[in-house]
Amino acid sequence: MNTSSRRTGFRAVVIREWRRIARSPFHLMMLVLFPLLGGWLIVMTFGTGAARELPIAVVDGDGSPLSRDLIRMIDATGGLRVSSLEPDMDAAERNVMRGSVYGIVSIPPGFERDVARGEAPVVTAFYNAQYVLPASQIKSALTTATTTLSARIEVRQRVAARELPQAAAAHVEPITVEMHTLFNAPLNYVTYLVAALLPALLQIFIVTMTVHAYGTELKEGTAGEWFAAAGGHAVPAIAGKAVPYVAHFTALAFLMLAVLYGWLGVPFRGSFAAVGWATGLFVLAYVAMGFAFAAAAGELRIGTNLAAFYSAPAFAFAGVTFPVEGMPVAGQVWSSLLPVTHYLRVLVQQGMRGAPIETSWHSVLALIAFGLAPWPFLGWRMARLSRKPAGGGGR
Amino acid sequence: MKTLMAALVDEARLVFCDAGVLIITVIAVLVYSFVYPIPYLNQVLKDVPVAVVDEDHSGLSRRLVRMADEHEAIRVAEAVPSMAEAEALVRGGAVRGVLVIPRGFERDVLEGRQVRLSGYIDASYLLAYNAALTGMLESAGTLSAGVEVARWRARGLSQEAALRARRPVGLELRPLFNATSGYATYVVPAVLVLILQQTLLMGIGMAGGARRERVTAGSTTSVDNSGHPVAQVLGRSIPYLFLYAFNAAWYFAFMPRYYGYYVPGSGRAVALLAVPFLLATVFMGFTLRGFFGRRETAMQVILFTSLPLVFLAGFAWPAETVPVWLRHASQVVPTTTAIPALLRLTRQGAGLADVAGEAWVLWILAAIYFPTACLTEYVGQLRARRHPVSTP
Repeated sequence: MNTSSRRTGFRAVVIREWRRIARSPFHLMMLVLFPLLGGWLIVMTFGTGAARELPIAVVDGDGSPLSRDLIRMIDATGGLRVSSLEPDMDAAERNVMRGSVYGIVSIPPGFERDVARGEAPVVTAFYNAQYVLPASQIKSALTTATTTLSARIEVRQRVAARELPQAAAAHVEPITVEMHTLFNAPLNYVTYLVAALLPALLQIFIVTMTVHAYGTELKEGTAGEWFAAAGGHAVPAIAGKAVPYVAHFTALAFLMLAVLYGWLGVPFRGSFAAVGWATGLFVLAYVAMGFAFAAAAGELRIGTNLAAFYSAPAFAFAGVTFPVEGMPVAGQVWSSLLPVTHYLRVLVQQGMRGAPIETSWHSVLALIAFGLAPWPFLGWRMARLSRKPAGGGGR
Repeated sequence: MKTLMAALVDEARLVFCDAGVLIITVIAVLVYSFVYPIPYLNQVLKDVPVAVVDEDHSGLSRRLVRMADEHEAIRVAEAVPSMAEAEALVRGGAVRGVLVIPRGFERDVLEGRQVRLSGYIDASYLLAYNAALTGMLESAGTLSAGVEVARWRARGLSQEAALRARRPVGLELRPLFNATSGYATYVVPAVLVLILQQTLLMGIGMAGGARRERVTAGSTTSVDNSGHPVAQVLGRSIPYLFLYAFNAAWYFAFMPRYYGYYVPGSGRAVALLAVPFLLATVFMGFTLRGFFGRRETAMQVILFTSLPLVFLAGFAWPAETVPVWLRHASQVVPTTTAIPALLRLTRQGAGLADVAGEAWVLWILAAIYFPTACLTEYVGQLRARRHPVSTP
């Protein structure tokens, strides 16, 4: 193609890429609609913030005023709701099997009488440990309910034995711990999960669409035309192609930060500058990785496969649902190879905790490395592939 | 019947002669089953580092520090003189929490006053927060119980009577099912179901995109533009049902034994529930693939849906907390119904009768997606007729 009459170079490539994007409804979906839809679904899923009252079943073997007291206290703990009173354990277990309750509280026969005699009857709680969040909610709510009841009974007994009420309370629990929550108060799952899920969602789109940007040139055999627009030079060709995506996804990422810190009220104590720069580096890192996958694969289809493998399970490895320190070595290594791990660390350290900047330099350096390292390889490989006359679409 | 066979053969060729489709439906299914569980293989989080600020320096305070260190959830990584230093450690991420033992701790305990310790826990990572909280509360609770029992015994009660007097109402917490409270056995069985669905949708979409590329490239065949849509959809479903019967057996029969979360006796019920799950997913895949113009489009579009779908399936995030409209709307996706049902069958030993409601929903989904799949096929044929049939 003779391009001597047309303007070539960086600007020409940017304009060409922008036209390719504007032309296709697919780009509108993948760059705008689906990222917004996905993010909106995630925000809606966690809309209420804290887990609401979870249904449990009670088998009241005693049917006494004291057992009904206990049931009322369980119901009043806030975390739990007694959704059904069952005559026996078999009936209650059916409810668990059908998935309508998360646990069963069984109050033994003779409960009130045994308490009065000081025989310390035991209430048994069965909780469905398959559901981790509800299980911990049930455990803490029931512990609270029974210790409150215990303390009330014990204080009553001690006062009856002529102890002063205040001294009696000190005797019931000689040592207590007052707990304070640092950085995420009130303890909120929205903060915790959404703040990690949205970046994880964004990286899927960045990698997929940058693989697409380069892969379609190969598939459609237009890589030669692209390089021609750049005047045959690798640097303006690659930079011109990357810039529209870096700009667009950085804008989306800042929208995400606005949603997290502005709308959802995720606590922010740190430096906006640090978080802003890290966000830019995060986008750049994934744009570079996306191009690298497309270039390494040399075709759209395999490149997309690599992108899928790299980005889809990333959330599990990013150390949010399960901390990196707790993973086997293979998991820790893979985790460190994902820019999102480092980015989320910066968000926690610089955003939530307001840690001194030197705490995060490790993570920031890693992001810079991901953002810079692939380009020399890209320049070499893309120039080579684009010299091929027809695209390797892969049949 | 002729159409059905021709469609079956054509689709089988699209699946088994295309490296891209095979990577998704065979290799990815295999690789993910080993890669996805890696983060969770250690099952529980132990020895979360905490700092101690001991302002008392007494025998009792040292005993408490030792008890905290010995608790399996936490370890005392640092002992620092002041809260300011401890807070810097938390900020830097070296420790996840701080336990402050106030001056006069031992004296107050001995004099029978109630003592209040302070715990500060970093809540930016939920699991570490829970571990640190449990570790601090339980070690302080154990010491407190020891002190109280000692007081009762000083009044002449036996050890047993002292224990009873301390807790007039006892509580025994017993886990049902996932008895070790392991994280892998919690996440893996559910995520495997999602991987089955997503790879199946991508595979069908990719083969459909390849078929459409064939038409636009001008190599339309008679299987593309004729034949009753019902016979076409039935014939084209068979290769996927065949392949995913193996994949499902791998995920539901082999993987539970491999990862050691197998519950005996669930095989028949799982197989019976897998039928409507796979049918609904396959027909959904055939419905969606009309929208995928290229071979890669399906993968690009479906990839991101995994993240929201995981949290709509009710296992990681209780369904009770999801807004009602979203809970209903998310039922258009088979995993929303299939994951909780399969978890109850494979993890809790529930019977088929316990998941009857979910089985109905899945059969209804299959019944809805079958005609829509036929419609997609019909529209595809109309499109293909605009292109000339090439000679074989």
